[in-house]
Amino acid sequence: MSQTDQEKDHAPAPTGGPKLTSLVEEAQAGGRAAFEQLMGHFQKDIFRMAYYRTRSSMDAEDLTQEVFLQAYKKISSLKEVDRFRSWLFQIALNRIRDFNRKKRFRNLFSAFGDTRETAKTPAGASDQPEALDNLMAQDFWKQIELFLNKLSRMEREVFLLRFVDHLSIKEISQALAKSESTVKTHLYRSIGKFKAEHSIHQLLQEGVA
Amino acid sequence: MSTSNELHLDDDQLVWAVVDEAELPLPLREHLSTCPVCRANKAQTAKNLSRLGQMAERFAPLPAHSISLPVKEPRSTTRWSWGWQTYAGAAVAAALVLAVFWRTPVPPGPSGENGNMMATEIQEAEQFMTEIAMLVDNALPAVYLDISAEPSADFDEELMEPVGPSVEDQPLTDNYRKRGVSLC
Repeated sequence: MSQTDQEKDHAPAPTGGPKLTSLVEEAQAGGRAAFEQLMGHFQKDIFRMAYYRTRSSMDAEDLTQEVFLQAYKKISSLKEVDRFRSWLFQIALNRIRDFNRKKRFRNLFSAFGDTRETAKTPAGASDQPEALDNLMAQDFWKQIELFLNKLSRMEREVFLLRFVDHLSIKEISQALAKSESTVKTHLYRSIGKFKAEHSIHQLLQEGVA
Repeated sequence: MSTSNELHLDDDQLVWAVVDEAELPLPLREHLSTCPVCRANKAQTAKNLSRLGQMAERFAPLPAHSISLPVKEPRSTTRWSWGWQTYAGAAVAAALVLAVFWRTPVPPGPSGENGNMMATEIQEAEQFMTEIAMLVDNALPAVYLDISAEPSADFDEELMEPVGPSVEDQPLTDNYRKRGVSLC
């Protein structure tokens, strides 16, 4: 694999461009249509991000809705329009943190507090996952959870934002309000632990095969 | 290949290369750009991380519903929402303060008939006190003041000194010579 290919594999998702910037500016000026376009652009990213951390599609949907509502209300306070993506992720991180806090509190009083899904949620008959896929998904999330539990809170967050949510180091530092060097240090530690996790590597090989 | 095995990146350096290649010292960066072994090692780790992201995406559901904004325009800046709450709070506080002052009993002031009576009483008391002060200064009735020895109570003893020196100032011998009186 050439270096360019490697970088392509590893590159974060496009963060925007002039069109995105102008949409953010329009939304800041009160353009509802512009904000709806932004929602369409980032809905999947935010939904997935919430799902990776809650493992419940219902909760992820609710959180996504809340994140965009809050962003819509506060978009005029965004100073730098090119930071929209990291700002959106920052809102999402805060909402998820609140959600998890409330959930922990609820779980103290309820035996049925855990709403985590063991596999992909069947959204409809057309996209009902196959049994094998279901098993693989189940195994994958179980292994990921075991691995993430070995990381500190910051290592986990930085690792997920970089390699699962595909944010750049700069965007992560903006979303977490930490310096880039701090982000890199946490990344370094989490990758070191990832390299030592042989069961995940095996799983990843099987997943590709 | 010109690079020796001793220069190969160790595990830590490879991890740093995955995090950010610019964090490596220049000689290691140069080595990494030319050494196929180190590049392959780095690529393997990067590939696994990339696969992890791909699989997470694959095993995550898609959102079932598209999100929508509320029909009513909730466009309110932070300043406005902050101001609204502040103004509401200030209005409630002002109303409470007014209500408290409104219900507190205020002592009646000197106004109307009561006020006039009080002013007359004060005037009479002042006049009475003036008369007492005059009597203290001079108890004689006004008709006797002209014939009294001391029409004024403000008598200054120092004024009389040059007219008649006091007895203590004169020596006893003088008296003796003038009058021929024996002291014994």
